Amino acid sequence: MNKLLKYEIRKTRSAKLILLGITAVVELAFLAGLYLVKSDDNSLLIVSCLLLFMLAMLGVSVIGLLSVLILHHDMNTKESYMLFMTPNSAYRILGAKVLENGLSILLIGAFYFGLGFLDVTLLFAREDSLQQLWEMFDQILQTISHEIQINPAGIACFFLWFLTGWIATITTAFLADIVSTALLKGKRFNGVVTFILFIALQSLLNRLLPLFSRYSAMNQRFLIESGINLLFSGLTYVGAAEIMRRKLSV
Amino acid sequence: MSMLESKEITKVFGAKTAVDHVTLQLDAGHVYAMLGPNGSGKTTWMKMAAGLCKPTGGEIRFQGEPVSIESRKHVAYMSTEPYFYSWMTVRDVGVYYSDFFQDYSAERYRQLLQRMELTEDLKTRALSSGMMAKLKIAVTLARDAQVYMLDEPFNGIDLLARDEIRACILEAASEDKLMLLSSHLVEEMEAIADCAVFIREGKLIECVDLDTMRTEMGVSMTDRYRQIYGHAGEVQA
Repeated sequence: MNKLLKYEIRKTRSAKLILLGITAVVELAFLAGLYLVKSDDNSLLIVSCLLLFMLAMLGVSVIGLLSVLILHHDMNTKESYMLFMTPNSAYRILGAKVLENGLSILLIGAFYFGLGFLDVTLLFAREDSLQQLWEMFDQILQTISHEIQINPAGIACFFLWFLTGWIATITTAFLADIVSTALLKGKRFNGVVTFILFIALQSLLNRLLPLFSRYSAMNQRFLIESGINLLFSGLTYVGAAEIMRRKLSV
Repeated sequence: MSMLESKEITKVFGAKTAVDHVTLQLDAGHVYAMLGPNGSGKTTWMKMAAGLCKPTGGEIRFQGEPVSIESRKHVAYMSTEPYFYSWMTVRDVGVYYSDFFQDYSAERYRQLLQRMELTEDLKTRALSSGMMAKLKIAVTLARDAQVYMLDEPFNGIDLLARDEIRACILEAASEDKLMLLSSHLVEEMEAIADCAVFIREGKLIECVDLDTMRTEMGVSMTDRYRQIYGHAGEVQA
């Protein structure tokens, strides 16, 4: 598995480096706006803040989309031989892909979270009024709902919920793509059927989640839904790997 | 027990039957030439034996067991098309094989690269078709596999390099190994193979020992190829 994981990481390296390169440029612009621009013109700061936020959102989406594209490429080009002629089971091959994606999201997420935290700290250090604004925002949140708690445990629960939800989305996309390649290749409406399958499975998950977590407190809800996400991920992963093992021809 | 055996193996792609109920036994200690025009089913049969392609019907067995993840440890398949990751160098290709195949020898790979006049720093995406063909041969033969299946090993290779490849293939062949080669270059195969498998339109025409064919039928492999596929393609006894 480690060897497979090594090559899965290598496949996404270029895209990640490009993303990090762009982020570095925007971060430099942010720091320049913060420390070098002496006038009251904050446009560089505002634009770079917005771009960093967008990059964080986009980065996570790109990493997810990329893993689905790579799986599709690995099943539909001659490079597929590199994977499928090795003595590795479909479970291992797919497992390495899921693991790589989960790790990537975790690391990219942590990176952008850390960067955001650092930038906000720097911003507060320069602008006292922003610190007051943040405290006011926190108070409003507390007033609206006692359930929303911005503390380490709450953040950890949220990240776990986000990560497991993400993995469930990825394994569902993998299953849809494998069904498309292994069972429906060359058939009419292949793309449409695949898309409908993905949407249907995601809708099923979204309907299942509240059934189990509706009456729980926020953090508890995150934990229950994380468990359901993991179970769903396991089922879609086993389904995808079984179809790959039994039916996929490359 | 045959090293590689296919029983009524069939592969259908949509309306086309690529391999049609082929039953065939291949034994260790032989170099088989798998012959047939384009689209006759040679590559599909090899891919099914390598476990890359799932049969529609029938089965292929390696040492009596259905081809599986286990058999991939002992079967070295070389596709006719380039299949290495585009970001790889010649060195990376060797490292990849070393990572996944226990029978791979880095020393043997280096020797073969030298004979093929390739250097490890070359990027695979920058290789000419001839160089790519030589790289595929080098990395496949660097494995000490029990079965080698080389699909069109002489494609895109000049005459001199072809001599070197032929020598490498014959060195890799031994009493306990099975070598299966497919090629359009029938004369080239005559100098290497001791058995021939003729396939046409997905069906097995015959699998013959070349010495027997020469003595009993009085024809060479090339003559027999012409008899089977020439003109209207009527099979003659």
